[in-house]
Amino acid sequence: MTSERDNEFRALDLKIAKALQIDVPELKMPELPDVDTVNVASLPVRKRSLKPLWFAVAATVVLATSISVRMSGVFESYDSLAEEVLAHVDHEPGAFRNVDIPVSDERLIRAIPASLATYERGTSLITYAQSCVINGHDVPHLVIQGQYGPVTILLMPEEQIAEATPLDGDNVKGIILPVGKGSIAIIGDRQELLEPIQQNVVNSVSWTT
Amino acid sequence: MNSSSAEGKRRQRFDSLVTVFHQDMYRFAAWLCRDKAIAEDVVQEALLRAWKSLDSLRDDAAAKHWLLTIVRRENARYFERRRLETVDIDNLTASQAALLAETPDRELDDLREAIFGLDDDYREPLVLQVLMGYSTSEIAEMMGLKQGAVLTRLHRARHKLKDSVAEQ
Repeated sequence: MTSERDNEFRALDLKIAKALQIDVPELKMPELPDVDTVNVASLPVRKRSLKPLWFAVAATVVLATSISVRMSGVFESYDSLAEEVLAHVDHEPGAFRNVDIPVSDERLIRAIPASLATYERGTSLITYAQSCVINGHDVPHLVIQGQYGPVTILLMPEEQIAEATPLDGDNVKGIILPVGKGSIAIIGDRQELLEPIQQNVVNSVSWTT
Repeated sequence: MNSSSAEGKRRQRFDSLVTVFHQDMYRFAAWLCRDKAIAEDVVQEALLRAWKSLDSLRDDAAAKHWLLTIVRRENARYFERRRLETVDIDNLTASQAALLAETPDRELDDLREAIFGLDDDYREPLVLQVLMGYSTSEIAEMMGLKQGAVLTRLHRARHKLKDSVAEQ
């Protein structure tokens, strides 16, 4: 009796397997961003656009301070959140473009899942939105256009810090602000007036968790 | 190893994994969300996420599990964002209906529709077991359930399908 039932279910499983084998459309590979290939020596010489990408200088600062750690084999590790933030900004060159095309609401929603945070779009021109990983956590990465070029915003709901941390590079400046149980990094050109942007961003973000 | 060589090898590794597992990723996504267009979106997001965190995959033998877990997570993210309403099987969108595109085999069509109509809680472990070949303990780990709960869901899923097919 049991055997009969087993056979019945085995036959059903074969049919289920067949039913589940739906047609698969041709693979459409998404545009894959540059990723740090865990190769220290190569990072400073990566080819860049001839246009002045001032964010690139941040990498030099980060690498100069972290190279001893990296050379020791502890790849992909950073001494501090500040270093990782600056390194991340450098390694996502797609974000650095000076453009005036806003990202779609759809893209913004994808970059900032409701499970992490909500973001009031407001009047800022958001030209880049991507979900990234920093320190093992999902981090929405936005770029808005400031007076002197792109301004990077990293929403880090799981990175709690005790106090504001300034970010300093040759041609960039920024800050990581403690916001509730998380923090927000804002990085722009040295000439950029970041304070009003900070205020806007902090007022626009609510953590979900 | 220089940068371009490392990047090239990384990309080659990624392409190989995607070539092997793309079909599984898509089918899993499609049966999770029951919508072909959404499944394509979910797979795109999953590929992007997999690319970024490829270095965390130490052993390519674990790639299928790793990729399907990413698909599962991306699907959950999608529905968290959208808070989509329950699918009404009598009033499907074109993209949902595409999943049930008719075949010359009537019995297969009926079974596919019955699977489509299963609750998520039943459909997912069934797909993982029958289509992806996972054991109940692996499914339990993936879904954050006890193995007994997975067994119960699988048992009920099969009975529901058996009854549905018998009614057709």
